[in-house]
Amino acid sequence: MEILVLVKPVPDPETRLRPNAAGTGLDTEGVKWVLAGYDESAVEQALLLKEAIAGSHVRAVAFGPAPRTEEILRSALALGCDAATWAEASGEQALDPLLAAQALAQACSTGPVELVLVGKQALDDEAGLVGPAVAERLGIADYGPVVDLRWDVSAGQFTFARAIEGGLERMTAPAPMLVCLQQAWNDPRTAKLQNVLKARRTAIDRAPALSAPSAPEAAASSARISGFRLPPPRTGAKMIEYKTPQEAAEKLVRLLRDEAKTLP
Amino acid sequence: MSGPVLVVVERRGRDPVRSSLEAIGAARNLAGGTGLVAVLLGSDLEPAARIVASLGASKVITVPDRRFDTFHAALWAGAVVSMAQELLVSTIVVAGTTNGRQLTGRLAARWGAAAVSGVTEIASTPEGVLVALRPIFSGRAIQEVRLEGPRRVVGLRPNAFPEPDASGPVGTVEEHPVPELGSTPALGQRIAFEGAAAGAGPDLAEATVIVSGGRGLKAPENFRLLEELAASLGGAVGASRAVTDSGWKPTSYQIGQTGRTVSPQLYIAVGISGAIQHLVGMISSRTIVAINSDPNAPIFKVADYGVVGDLFQIVPALTAEIRKVRGI
Repeated sequence: MEILVLVKPVPDPETRLRPNAAGTGLDTEGVKWVLAGYDESAVEQALLLKEAIAGSHVRAVAFGPAPRTEEILRSALALGCDAATWAEASGEQALDPLLAAQALAQACSTGPVELVLVGKQALDDEAGLVGPAVAERLGIADYGPVVDLRWDVSAGQFTFARAIEGGLERMTAPAPMLVCLQQAWNDPRTAKLQNVLKARRTAIDRAPALSAPSAPEAAASSARISGFRLPPPRTGAKMIEYKTPQEAAEKLVRLLRDEAKTLP
Repeated sequence: MSGPVLVVVERRGRDPVRSSLEAIGAARNLAGGTGLVAVLLGSDLEPAARIVASLGASKVITVPDRRFDTFHAALWAGAVVSMAQELLVSTIVVAGTTNGRQLTGRLAARWGAAAVSGVTEIASTPEGVLVALRPIFSGRAIQEVRLEGPRRVVGLRPNAFPEPDASGPVGTVEEHPVPELGSTPALGQRIAFEGAAAGAGPDLAEATVIVSGGRGLKAPENFRLLEELAASLGGAVGASRAVTDSGWKPTSYQIGQTGRTVSPQLYIAVGISGAIQHLVGMISSRTIVAINSDPNAPIFKVADYGVVGDLFQIVPALTAEIRKVRGI
């Protein structure tokens, strides 16, 4: 089976966030870009399926600027992906989820599409738009947020669960499909040094340039990020002084009711 | 803004879900005089349609077809886009449910629309540009997005908009035949639903109050204390990664970077030290309370109210006090 996994470079979760001079985005000076969060889970899920399905092959696909996008594709290769495709874009283009979906779908459709894996959202912009939009462009079904994805060899179909409100919805579905992953069932693996070295020498395929936007795409690009700011800093908790647990409870309930106004 | 605003309404059982009512509330403000249309898909839609019509939708359209009873983004997007084209809609508003989040990107790609998701505030300028605010980086930053153009899809975050009240005129309810769905891909099927136990309270994603426990609980059976506190508040119980990794609670309880992201009105962290892994999943909660024996626990830096003490004494006292105040 040909397994495609979509990944995106995101700032290291420990990054100290600062707005850029224009106040429209993150100041990316000195930011370390990593493969993280749900994307890391998606790669892990791809590799688990590869191990379970004989003769399968995993290709990581990413959209974004040099050098960070190429670097996270090398991280995916080092973890065990067999091949990688890079759809190059400017830093500004990379901020547009629907443009990303267009480019990623185009990069995916250069070969057979059977299973596409993607994190349910990226750690940075948390949009969650790319996966379903790629599925729409590929004309395949999409499911999310998914856990416990398996391939049932005898039935020739996937089994998985959607983690929805109130419980787990168990489903079966045929290929081709796209899955937005909630999180890996197992902890993501780390790369072995020899594989990191090998990944440095692996050729990364380049996706063809994006075709000129058609009318609907021009409309889609009319979403513009116009501001990026930090929320007012949290100043630390108001600490409750008390002599007995009852007194602590009474004071806390009074504050929640009268000051925070968040007691139901 | 020229055309009407369309809201996709989801149900659980026969009732509209609360997040969809919040979407009606948000859309009411955006629609102004252009009209607010709600669309319901599936079977036995009448009871939910009546409720939605009383909450400010000028028109409620029901599309009765059992194929929509299982959520398939591809199928739902096909129907909703068809309706939007027929009604010359300018904006589609989608609730922040798990289905809604799956639908937003698919709708935008199918309709050729500008889109924004996870929105906590939205307004229309006099020129008809939609200006949306959305928390990003796990609530550590706020992004402003402007949607221009003739077609816009707006996905909301749960718990960010008030439910509308039933003042104002009651809208009409119309049944509509299944619209042209266009090409539909091969779809899977739902084989079972493993629901949480009855009486388990609301789901984490929808809960207005969450009581969450960490390693400080010492043993899985002690979660009973948190379940009682959550029940006194009509809330849900969550857990830190340490707890789900130890197998005390299933992974579905986990709040944090590799688990669920929640934003309730009130978040009570009990015996949770406040590792960044956990904080990113709950930092955008309206009010945060921390109860911990360690006065230096990082959770107190992000909490609004802190109690240093023995949770085994504080939590039962708090449950008793809340029951007293709420008269239960």
